[in-house]
Amino acid sequence: MSTNNMSDPRRPNKVLRYKPPPSECNPALDDPTPDYMNLLGMIFSMCGLMLKWCAWVAVYCSFISFANSRSSEDTKQMMSSFMLSISAVVMSYLQNPQPMTPPW
Amino acid sequence: MKAFHTFCVVLLVFGSVSEAKFDDFEDEEDIVEYDDNDFAEFEDVMEDSVTESPQRVIITEDDEDETTVELEGQDENQEGDFEDADTQEGDTESEPYDDEEFEGYEDKPDTSSSKNKDPITIVDVPAHLQNSWESYYLEILMVTGLLAYIMNYIIGKNKNSRLAQAWFNTHRELLESNFTLVVVLPLGDDGTNKEATSTGKLNQENEHIYNLWCSGRVCCEGMLIQLRFLKRQDLLNVLARMMRPVSDQVQIKVTMNDEDMDTYVFAVGTRKALVRLQKEMQDLSEFCSDKPKSGAKYGLPDSLAILSEMGEVTDGMMDTKMVHFLTHYADKIESVHFSDQFSGPKIMQEEGQPLKLPDTKRTLLFTFNVPGSGNTYPKDMEALLPLMNMVIYSIDKAKKFRLNREGKQKADKNRARVEENFLKLTHVQRQEAAQSRREEKKRAEKERIMNEEDPEKQRRLEEAALRREQKKLEKKQMKMKQIKVKAM
Repeated sequence: MSTNNMSDPRRPNKVLRYKPPPSECNPALDDPTPDYMNLLGMIFSMCGLMLKWCAWVAVYCSFISFANSRSSEDTKQMMSSFMLSISAVVMSYLQNPQPMTPPW
Repeated sequence: MKAFHTFCVVLLVFGSVSEAKFDDFEDEEDIVEYDDNDFAEFEDVMEDSVTESPQRVIITEDDEDETTVELEGQDENQEGDFEDADTQEGDTESEPYDDEEFEGYEDKPDTSSSKNKDPITIVDVPAHLQNSWESYYLEILMVTGLLAYIMNYIIGKNKNSRLAQAWFNTHRELLESNFTLVVVLPLGDDGTNKEATSTGKLNQENEHIYNLWCSGRVCCEGMLIQLRFLKRQDLLNVLARMMRPVSDQVQIKVTMNDEDMDTYVFAVGTRKALVRLQKEMQDLSEFCSDKPKSGAKYGLPDSLAILSEMGEVTDGMMDTKMVHFLTHYADKIESVHFSDQFSGPKIMQEEGQPLKLPDTKRTLLFTFNVPGSGNTYPKDMEALLPLMNMVIYSIDKAKKFRLNREGKQKADKNRARVEENFLKLTHVQRQEAAQSRREEKKRAEKERIMNEEDPEKQRRLEEAALRREQKKLEKKQMKMKQIKVKAM
């Protein structure tokens, strides 16, 4: 084991590649927020065709899901969730252009 | 001709005016009551006389210049009324209405009179029928909320990015002097480093988590640094943090070489963090079963506690320099965990227990809190530099520290005990698993025999299988005999 300098701790011959931990333990550690928000967004989008405020909540859910998502997350899923919630808002206003009444 | 034209025009005008007046009335009775002659106001008094009857106004033309208006049918009606009046009883003559005629209409005279006294009330047009922007106030509110969320996302993301860059700039020199490779993550698709040399930027796993991998040093395989910032890009999280302040964290995980670290489990940190780790972490719960002890004996502040496998480890770890680090930066230290049996948090599997012990690695884990309690500025990152020095010192210390003979024996005994406990717990499951494996093998063999087309071969395979089974039985019987002999 040749060392350039006794005080230099670096060892170029001991460089190792990073091995990410196995995916089994990842789901438990990962934040489930983006997945929950995605699911909620879809459910609210469906309900949004009947109730206007549901459609707006769906838009919020998809935004929150996007903000909390990991970089490895599928962008197609994000985009489809966005499009679904926006189309729910548009459809409910086309069907009934009157302003929204508060749910309370 | 001229007169005729004049007559037609007047007729048309009068007809339209009277129609317009009669449009307001809903039924004939009202029309009957309405009369625009001079006696209209006295209608209530002189009800039984002339004005009750419908009057037909006929315009006749006698000559060119003037027209006369005759009231026709008046005499006939008068007679009819008088006849009706005669047939009625005496006491009803003074009453304005005949009771029998107006059954169910008792309230009507009253309400009609009261209506005239009430002032006209103007009712607001309901919101959904208005067509102004103001009625859409909820929609405007929603859109404003969305815009606020987007603004917060951009601002939060930028702040986290600046903090990460500031941290890296502060620590870059120290890291590069200690490690050959300081690289961003993740790796490329094929699993190799796209850039084997050091890069200037940190990798983003999220909008709030940044990773750095350092490798190529004596004693350790590598060091993974994770900057776990707060979710500043999520407005909901920002609002939640207003209720409960939380700090940004820096997590460092050093994977040691097997020959460079002895066998012990040790942790020091805030009491709250240690209690949580003891519950969550596999190795701490198995090897450090006692409650966290105070570190006052070694000169540590009261906020820090110690979890250790044995006293010798604590004595060995708490040397002067380490105590100095822990005392001076106690507010920034969340936990320090050294373990040769580290396997991560306890995994809850569906079948209740994993069938084999999880893989362990010799690891040093550090969790530091960034000062500021959430309100962090890039310059606060400089305060974490001494902590990185502590990490480097700990790596070297872990290599140097060796247990004495007694300590080593104790440690080995502990590990054997844990393994035995684990095997006992999983004994039943392992037996079942072995049984199912054996059955599977038998079934596969039978299938192979059945699928064999050549009858000769089939017969031979069957015989071979029978012979194998007989041998097994004989072996078992021998074993039983031996056990019996030994028992005797």
